[in-house]
Amino acid sequence: MTAPLLSVAGLTKTFPGLRALDGVSLDVASGEILAVVGQNGSGKSTLVKILAGLLEADAGTVEVRGRDGRVPSEHEATAELHFIHQDLGLISMLSTVENLDLSHDLGRHGFLPAPRREEARRATELIARFGASFDVGMPTSELTAAERSIVAIARALEGWLRPDNVLVLDEPTAALAADEVSRLFTAIRHVAEAGAGIIFISHRLDEVMELADRVVALRDGHVVADVPAAQVDHEALVRMIAGHDLARANLERALHPGDPVLTVRGLAGATVAHVDLDLRAGEILGVSGLLGSGREHLASLLFGALPRKRGHVRVAGRALRGGDPRAAIARDLGFVPADRRTAGLVLDMCVRENLTLPRLAPLRRPTGRLDAGAERNETRAWIRKMGLRPPEPERPVGLLSGGNQQKLALAKWLRNEPKVLLLDEPTQGVDVGAKASIYELVASAAEQGAGVLVSSSDAKELTLLCDRVLVLRDGFVAAELDRGSLNEAQLIRESLGLSGDRREARFATTSERSDG
Amino acid sequence: MAKQALSFKNISALYIFLALFAIFSLWVPDTFLSADVWRSLLDTQALTALVAVALVIPLAAGSFNLAIGTEVGMGAILVAWLLAKQSIPIVPAIGLTMLAGALIGMTSGLLIVRARIDSFIATLGMSSVLLALIAWLSDSQQILNLSPSFQKLATDQLLGLTYPVWIMMSAALVVWYLLERTPTGRRVYATGGNIEASRLAGVRTSLVVVLSLVACGAIAAGAGVIATSRLATGDPTVGPAYLLPAYAAAFLGSTQFKGGRYNVWGTVVAVYVLATGVKGLQLAGAPVWIPDLFDGVALLLAVGLAKYQRTAHRASAIRRVLRMRRKLAEGPA
Repeated sequence: MTAPLLSVAGLTKTFPGLRALDGVSLDVASGEILAVVGQNGSGKSTLVKILAGLLEADAGTVEVRGRDGRVPSEHEATAELHFIHQDLGLISMLSTVENLDLSHDLGRHGFLPAPRREEARRATELIARFGASFDVGMPTSELTAAERSIVAIARALEGWLRPDNVLVLDEPTAALAADEVSRLFTAIRHVAEAGAGIIFISHRLDEVMELADRVVALRDGHVVADVPAAQVDHEALVRMIAGHDLARANLERALHPGDPVLTVRGLAGATVAHVDLDLRAGEILGVSGLLGSGREHLASLLFGALPRKRGHVRVAGRALRGGDPRAAIARDLGFVPADRRTAGLVLDMCVRENLTLPRLAPLRRPTGRLDAGAERNETRAWIRKMGLRPPEPERPVGLLSGGNQQKLALAKWLRNEPKVLLLDEPTQGVDVGAKASIYELVASAAEQGAGVLVSSSDAKELTLLCDRVLVLRDGFVAAELDRGSLNEAQLIRESLGLSGDRREARFATTSERSDG
Repeated sequence: MAKQALSFKNISALYIFLALFAIFSLWVPDTFLSADVWRSLLDTQALTALVAVALVIPLAAGSFNLAIGTEVGMGAILVAWLLAKQSIPIVPAIGLTMLAGALIGMTSGLLIVRARIDSFIATLGMSSVLLALIAWLSDSQQILNLSPSFQKLATDQLLGLTYPVWIMMSAALVVWYLLERTPTGRRVYATGGNIEASRLAGVRTSLVVVLSLVACGAIAAGAGVIATSRLATGDPTVGPAYLLPAYAAAFLGSTQFKGGRYNVWGTVVAVYVLATGVKGLQLAGAPVWIPDLFDGVALLLAVGLAKYQRTAHRASAIRRVLRMRRKLAEGPA
């Protein structure tokens, strides 16, 4: 057997409070397509970042081409690992020819006029190798998603000195429709047949089954399986990803939902096509689904961060208009967006200023000025309550760790004692310790009578925290799981649309809409 | 905390002021240490300081106002035109001029929040439109024959200081109070810090942006009124010269006291530190082009130093990546 093209051994990476990778080893041989699967937080993205040189591993080795035992020169090594990230890295204003051109080392030819016709011919030939034909002079923004992926692959491969290099594709199909996926797969197979080793990272298990020769499953930073694709089926894959030990954390609450606080009928906007939901006081409702299912936009839409296309939202019986965060706040809604750095916090301002921003009125003295003393006292109390580290009210928020930022993004709404708390990816990029205290804060908010909606791509989080979970698919509610039937494997299965009987639920929702 | 408050990084302008003061006191003691020089410095720079204070408001809200120079010029010409050509009494003329400044600010603001034009471009365009309006209103001629009582606005004194100094101090006090002691000011800074996060926290960010430009326009037009009163003529070329000194002072001021935040007192101090340096050099016999050079270099140094820390941080991150790639290359050995 030939030695692998890429060999990763004992890779370990620790972030503060989080072991992202723990002794990960894997090999890719020439002509092989290796799929790496795992949930969010399983260590997939850390692995890719280490391979790309964006992060430094604490321990372990990455060997490129051990076949002839020759140490590659630095120039060759950089040309041997190629990455295509989810966003492809194309410049959308420029055409295919121009995008391909960017990776060329032109030397002094860079100042000579470009040989346009020659370049266009070469580009057309190049994409033809991947079974594609389209106008290479068009801006890439006007191509289909699959065509753009092919341009990105062509660009990554064009500079190769030899065909047997390693190509890493990170979630390449997230933006593709089904028929486009097959075009991309044809292209990927072409590359593998020419002798390249492919690492293919994806959430979509059916694609993995279709494309990969071998599957490596990651969970909590460990390799939990490394098997030929032919030996596993969907169920086995789901079990590998989710794991068997689905322990519930100590977040048990007495379940006594109160009056409905949030009623949603026929909501539409962004990727959400039609969603009905009811949320009661004291209840924690989860929202699950893949990227593009509507899960990532539902909370923003409810709060008014995104404009609403259709539908009615009632908060404690009173109608709430769409696209107006001020109105939502006036109705006692709170919203922790997925991206705390761009939407959740003002990073240049300090902890105190961020905490009080949503509601300054109670701190206003009759003379119109802010009561600085009262504000400081209140901030200290909240810092204690959320266990913020370091406990400094005047620290600029940009200097806090991700977990502490997230606690603050949550606390600024808890301070308002909201009726409805909307959380979008509440623990993304957060270490284990902060995760636990965020869960406790959320659970105690529900205990005190808030209705909580948690939108999350982390199945474990939803099973831990929620009383009930709605699974979205293609913008519709595809399934509803209550506590009895709620487990990680079931959630993943529903998100992927693997259980046939649940599909009917979606069509029922569709027909309801046409009735109403 | 006390140590931090006195650190060079936090109040470098004050240390620089002391250094400049010491140097010129030794170099040109006869002229530099005379009370008249200082009184005239305080008076002549009051206008620049007033314009810079006005500029702090939109900058704090995250909007550039490149039209601020021509807003001053518009105020200068408009008040002269109202007084000399329309024979309107002094008080209503000043009121109308400041109202016009507010309307100009509102137009810029609406272009930014409604038409969604970047503030840099919206106010750059606005400044060119205003230049044309100034030329049209004045026929590109100076407007003469202003009444002596109007001139008193710039020349009369109270407790040994001229009115412009008092006006500047009061404007600075009001703007400081609003920005740093009231909920309104908190929302202005939040909007400037992260407009989307502020919107989601319930701040009316569009209103904040528009009102910041309205306030800036009104104060700038007021500065124009004082300029005309001081010159005793409506001069159509007076405005644009305020643009760079105001920005230099606001940027330099943002590195003072509040750790990177645009603030009123830092800005006022910066105006006078820059002016002290220029004045000292002039007294020591430096040529006439010194003020432009001094302002420009001070602006570049101040902003460059403020950015240095962040850049140093980024550079070390890039070095780490390069080291990693080298390791990758050496891996198989």
